[in-house]
Amino acid sequence: MATEVMEVGDYMRDPRKHHFSPYMDNGGTTVAIAGDDFVMVASDLRLSRGFNIFSREQSKIFGLTPKTMLASTGCWADVLTLNKVLQARLTMYSHEHHDVMSTTAVAQLLSTMLYWRRFFPYYVSNILVGLDEEGKGVVYHYDPVGHMEKLTYSAAGASVSQIQPLLDNQIDALNMKNVTPPKMTKELAHQLIHDAFISAAERDINTGDGVIIHTITKEGTSEEKIKLRRD
Amino acid sequence: MFLTRSEYDRGVNTFSPEGRLFQVEYAIEAIKLGSTAIGIQTSEGVVLAVEKRITSPLMIPSTIEKIVEIDRHIGCAVSGLVADSRTLVDHARVECANHWFVYNEDMKVESVAQAVSNLAIRFGDSDDDGPAMSRPFGVAMLFAGLDKSGAQLYHMDPSGTFLEFGAKAIGSGSEGAQQSLQESYHKSMTLQEALKIALTVLKQVMEEKVSGSNVEVAAVTPEKGFHRYPQNEVEAIISNL
Amino acid sequence: MDSLEDIHTGFQFSNFARNETLVAKGFPMPKSRKTGTTIAGVVFKDGVVLGADTRATEGDIIADKNCSKIHYLQPNMYCCGAGTAADLVMTTQLMASQLELHRLNTGRQVPVVAANRMLKQMLFRYQGYIGAALVLGGVDKHGSHIYSIHPHGSTDRLPYTTMGSGSLAAMSVFEVHWKPDLELEEAKQLVRDAIAGGIFNDLGSGSNVDLCIITKDGATMLRPYDVANVKGQRQGKYIYKTGTTDILSTSVRPIQIVSETVRKVGEEEMETA
Repeated sequence: MATEVMEVGDYMRDPRKHHFSPYMDNGGTTVAIAGDDFVMVASDLRLSRGFNIFSREQSKIFGLTPKTMLASTGCWADVLTLNKVLQARLTMYSHEHHDVMSTTAVAQLLSTMLYWRRFFPYYVSNILVGLDEEGKGVVYHYDPVGHMEKLTYSAAGASVSQIQPLLDNQIDALNMKNVTPPKMTKELAHQLIHDAFISAAERDINTGDGVIIHTITKEGTSEEKIKLRRD
Repeated sequence: MFLTRSEYDRGVNTFSPEGRLFQVEYAIEAIKLGSTAIGIQTSEGVVLAVEKRITSPLMIPSTIEKIVEIDRHIGCAVSGLVADSRTLVDHARVECANHWFVYNEDMKVESVAQAVSNLAIRFGDSDDDGPAMSRPFGVAMLFAGLDKSGAQLYHMDPSGTFLEFGAKAIGSGSEGAQQSLQESYHKSMTLQEALKIALTVLKQVMEEKVSGSNVEVAAVTPEKGFHRYPQNEVEAIISNL
Repeated sequence: MDSLEDIHTGFQFSNFARNETLVAKGFPMPKSRKTGTTIAGVVFKDGVVLGADTRATEGDIIADKNCSKIHYLQPNMYCCGAGTAADLVMTTQLMASQLELHRLNTGRQVPVVAANRMLKQMLFRYQGYIGAALVLGGVDKHGSHIYSIHPHGSTDRLPYTTMGSGSLAAMSVFEVHWKPDLELEEAKQLVRDAIAGGIFNDLGSGSNVDLCIITKDGATMLRPYDVANVKGQRQGKYIYKTGTTDILSTSVRPIQIVSETVRKVGEEEMETA
């Protein structure tokens, strides 16, 4: 009997698993609170990976139009790319339609942009803030694949599980008896954002160094920086 | 116009030595064979009115559709080769729907005109990017709509040129109709006045006697968006002319 | 009976097979507290200085903002620990007791080499499964000693060393500023700076700097030596009125005493041979 020589093609081998991990978590926390005639958005200034600090002065907030801002955390490479593409889309819109995009239009655009990457998403948590057509503050919260929720306040990023329950309790007065939710003023929003970050920096290693707070009103925007612990 | 007619009217993208694109000019001529369509813009909304040519008593007049809805806030009247208009109207509808999908807002009337114009001037442009119409579209369109800047009326011809008008007539009776519109149009016009003027002008330029069944009337208003006028309402206006 | 098994010496592995089955069925093993750390030690002219940060972490969350990472072994010997919290506490306590027995048996001060040997032999025996990375420091009749001890049992005797997730940050400070025969104040400042390097540049380390100074005259714990970070001040007051928590239902059940017995606890008779 003749020796059988069998050719073994690649396709006949057992499947091999290849590891591919294109994502990275760079930490960072964002918070936004809307009022009747303003909206405040804040982020910490720490950029990190694992136990290393990349930057102590990296804001995660991007101005989009005079009335809207985007706060993004997650994989920093994706944050930068998403914002670059979004900026380009805003410019294209203003050229095509001779108008600045409204906050609602930016909100919907971001949702569709994220959903187009449904099966290889941007690894980013977004909070979009702005003033609506009536000048009222609005907050939109997104998941990485484009689910959008319109809210009056929200937290995202590293310390979301510390800060969101605080805001639910202090703004919506959830889970309390005989407590009425307070009227949101700039002073209260500032206090809550300040205290939320101070407290998050106490217990979360990915939040720290500093906070930048932006306020948008119909008169314009302003910003303020607060120091946080640096350890 | 046809004095310098020459071999230069064969290719759709070939200029004549005088700098003319004959096929486009011929397409514009085709509009002049079409039925008359009128659009009037007022502060209360925009009115569209077109003539229906009933060429046979066996024809069912209601199947002639020369005013179409593009989106809830935009209507469109066409004149010329109505079959060509279907392609452009479909394109406009897709653009509006996509704009709503991406931006969650109504597309501006000017942007719709721009989008349709982009398709209208792509004739002869078939390549790897996809097929295109081999000749210019033989149709003129009136876009009536409402957006952030109020009620607007846009006219677009086969060359893709689009302009905003207070009142505009297209089609076979357009020269006379445009003259009449210029005389009667004023900025503070109400929607009711505009309806009356539109039908009066149509009555002047139509060969047939104007009736509830041989005209099509529609309007775009802030309250109702795009809507057609039923035959009995059209007849009521005609009887008061 | 469990309580009887527990009095046997050495680790118990009787739950191993059960736990393997649970893991295979999708019930994950509980995570032990493995903390990021910066620890360091230097030899100076008259002794050694040990230093540590005071942050304990559980994942990305800070579990303790002021924990103690410098452990007592003997009056002339202390040991800084980085790694699995339980392993560090138990290993150093076990070592402290064994060293004390050794001191009593020999009737003399235990030399630092002996502690180093006992630690490395124990860690080697457990093949790295006891997650302890140590900086051992002490003074004996032979002089001042710093040892770094790795979880698998390898050790180095060094004039200065660092350990933990912040070891590179701390070592970079030593590499720039360390020199032989430092004065006490210089050594304290150097170790503080090294630990601060870890505190500020390593996210696993934070809060305060603890120091331990050992000379031939004994050991001094400085805890904290330096409060490197102060707690942020909140603007608002977060006090809740009594009654804010809603009581959904109430039920009162009497505790019924079925029977009462009194057991007399008396002195047992002494066993005599």
